[in-house]
Amino acid sequence: MTEIRLTGLVHRYPGTGTPALDGIDLHIPAGTALGLLGRNGSGKSTLIAHLVGILRPTGGAVLVGGRDAAGLRVAELARIVGVAIQDPARQIVARRVADEAGFGPRMLGVRGAALEAAVADALAATGLTDAADENPWDLGPSRRRLLGIAAVLAMRTPVVVLDEPTAGLDDRERERVGAIVRQLTEAGRTTLVATHDVRFAAEHLDRLVLLDAGCILLDGTPADLLRSERSPVLAAAGIAPPPVAREGERLGLAPTPSDAAFVAALRCAESEGRAGSRPLEEGLT
Amino acid sequence: MLRDTLLLALPVSAAAAALNLLIYPEGTTTLLVLGPFRVTAEGAQVAGLTVLRVLAIAAVGSAFVRSTRPDALVADLEARGVPARLLFPLAAAATLLPATADRVRAIAAAQRMRGLDTEGSLRARLRGIVPIALPTLLGVLDEVEGRTLALASRGFGRPGRRTLLWRPAEAGVERAIRPLLVLGVLVVLLLRAGGVSFP
Amino acid sequence: MIRLSGVTFRYAGADRPNLRGVDLLLPDGSVTAVVGPNGAGKTTLALVLAGLVPGVIRGRLEGALEIDGVPVTEGGAEALAAVTGICLADPATQRSGIHRTAWEEAASGAASLGLAREALIARVDAAFRRLGIERLAERDPARLSGGEQQLVGIAGLLAMEPRHLVLDEPTAQLDLPGTRLVLDALAALAREGAMIVIAEHRTDELARIATDAVLLEDGAVVAAGPAGPLLGGPLPHRHGVEERWATRLARRIAEAGLTPPADLGEGA
Repeated sequence: MTEIRLTGLVHRYPGTGTPALDGIDLHIPAGTALGLLGRNGSGKSTLIAHLVGILRPTGGAVLVGGRDAAGLRVAELARIVGVAIQDPARQIVARRVADEAGFGPRMLGVRGAALEAAVADALAATGLTDAADENPWDLGPSRRRLLGIAAVLAMRTPVVVLDEPTAGLDDRERERVGAIVRQLTEAGRTTLVATHDVRFAAEHLDRLVLLDAGCILLDGTPADLLRSERSPVLAAAGIAPPPVAREGERLGLAPTPSDAAFVAALRCAESEGRAGSRPLEEGLT
Repeated sequence: MLRDTLLLALPVSAAAAALNLLIYPEGTTTLLVLGPFRVTAEGAQVAGLTVLRVLAIAAVGSAFVRSTRPDALVADLEARGVPARLLFPLAAAATLLPATADRVRAIAAAQRMRGLDTEGSLRARLRGIVPIALPTLLGVLDEVEGRTLALASRGFGRPGRRTLLWRPAEAGVERAIRPLLVLGVLVVLLLRAGGVSFP
Repeated sequence: MIRLSGVTFRYAGADRPNLRGVDLLLPDGSVTAVVGPNGAGKTTLALVLAGLVPGVIRGRLEGALEIDGVPVTEGGAEALAAVTGICLADPATQRSGIHRTAWEEAASGAASLGLAREALIARVDAAFRRLGIERLAERDPARLSGGEQQLVGIAGLLAMEPRHLVLDEPTAQLDLPGTRLVLDALAALAREGAMIVIAEHRTDELARIATDAVLLEDGAVVAAGPAGPLLGGPLPHRHGVEERWATRLARRIAEAGLTPPADLGEGA
């Protein structure tokens, strides 16, 4: 069981007054695809560091798979929670892309055919198979980011955390990351994506948590969070609902946080012959 | 500052001390015998001196880095007419220690998140050296291109005088001491050259 | 005004050129969006326009470059660099690491222009005001977030009052408020006559400020022209570039076999 539970998590960086995390209560059941939304500096990366033991709580507790993370070493937590960090160039140790992706599983004791398979799968998922023999330093920044993601996928952890995975990626690369999240969820793994890319979060994740100044402001489905009456809260936290959400409301459709939701709502409305009329929806006016 | 000094000095001084303690052929007063190694009083003395020397060097180095504000250094040198092209490398050297420390910490965290176990035994800590040191070094090198572009775009290397914004105030005491310190260094060097030895 | 004719550039030691036969006209007062998938040559184009390539990074440049009608010759990279400011994607490498405050950090570039002290101070203050980041002036640059660092870097460029401003994915690390701040400031600059070139992935954000657009793929210009039709049309999707939200939505509706509402996107 790899559910994650944060209870009253507080983190104060030494020498600072205000806490970076100010009492976080969060329960992430196994298999969730969760988006941690928030502007730069809202505490997303700090929270992630707690999941893997790099930071230890100033107050409150972090439970990973039912066990208190405080009693586990970082290397032990790394078997359960794999993190793709924001600056993937930081960790490059190998001269070949394939070896770089293999560093993590190797640390976890995977060898031989199992290692090769893990690396091959990870490179395939991130579109880096043809770059397997290249030097990671020769890759462009976006492919390095994908390599960072491949390095985590290869570790085959039950929980996968991606910290700003779509920054600097082009359209096709973004879709690829979305596909990765989908595959992870289908395989029953827990995925946590920290991002300020609202469109990506709304399209690929089932549950969104809005973080601002170290506190959770909202926690719900994309449809819940990205409705127009949430706009003031979202705006104060530096987030805007994607245009498709506003468009769906304007046309009187059921909540449409993503393109797919819009298409579904449109199909529903058309098949009921109600396209263009305003359906009664609680709380929409 | 004490911590920096010790961190820098420890590996080298430990190695040198161990060497002199255990193997000092010129030593005549044997204190004890440990297997193939012979600990002598003379060896112990030399070991002690070596450790002190290394500590002194490390202390001076870290004192310089800790007490020097890189921006004050740059501003003062600039005011004294040092060309911009020389300024930046000098200042970069002064910021090297804290900047590298930050980088190492971040890299250590990143690698630990991939399962590198650096907690616990000495062996574990040693295992961690290459996966942390290598990206540190390569990361610095990789950044050189980006940094060069940024500097070039900000006009470094352009001919002409730079506008001086400020220059650090100099206390009267500092101004008085400076010539004395320079004189002191010269005196020590001359004495050394003349064969006078210090411990 | 900058004109490129048949510009081809190959980095030293590379097997293929990064830019192939690029023809481009960048008028004053324009905001030109450079779009294309990663690897298309957006960064190389930015560096060529800023005179940093082949100046700082070695390679072979072929073709003709003109600034305000005057051809840029051998060693003319300096001429370009003198009138162009470039902002790159990574804020950390653009920070000198020397200065204690963001204000001094921003002032270091303009300090190379040989201005009088008062003039320099006035320029840097104005740049901070324009970007609305006065509150960052006394902060330690190393402790700012990536987005804040970018804004300080851009303030530093603005203080140099370049004729042309080139930005290579300046908002890659910024969240939405930061992105809007930067892009709005750039639009205001363009209104004052500066020529701005910006490479960026978020097409909707670009469309708000871009007057012209260039679509690059594989080092070549696929299309160039007014921003509205180019960014809102079918070409971006065909070449791996993010579409405008209404365009993408209409496409997905059509793909699902449904009829897009007639007024789709008009509420935007």
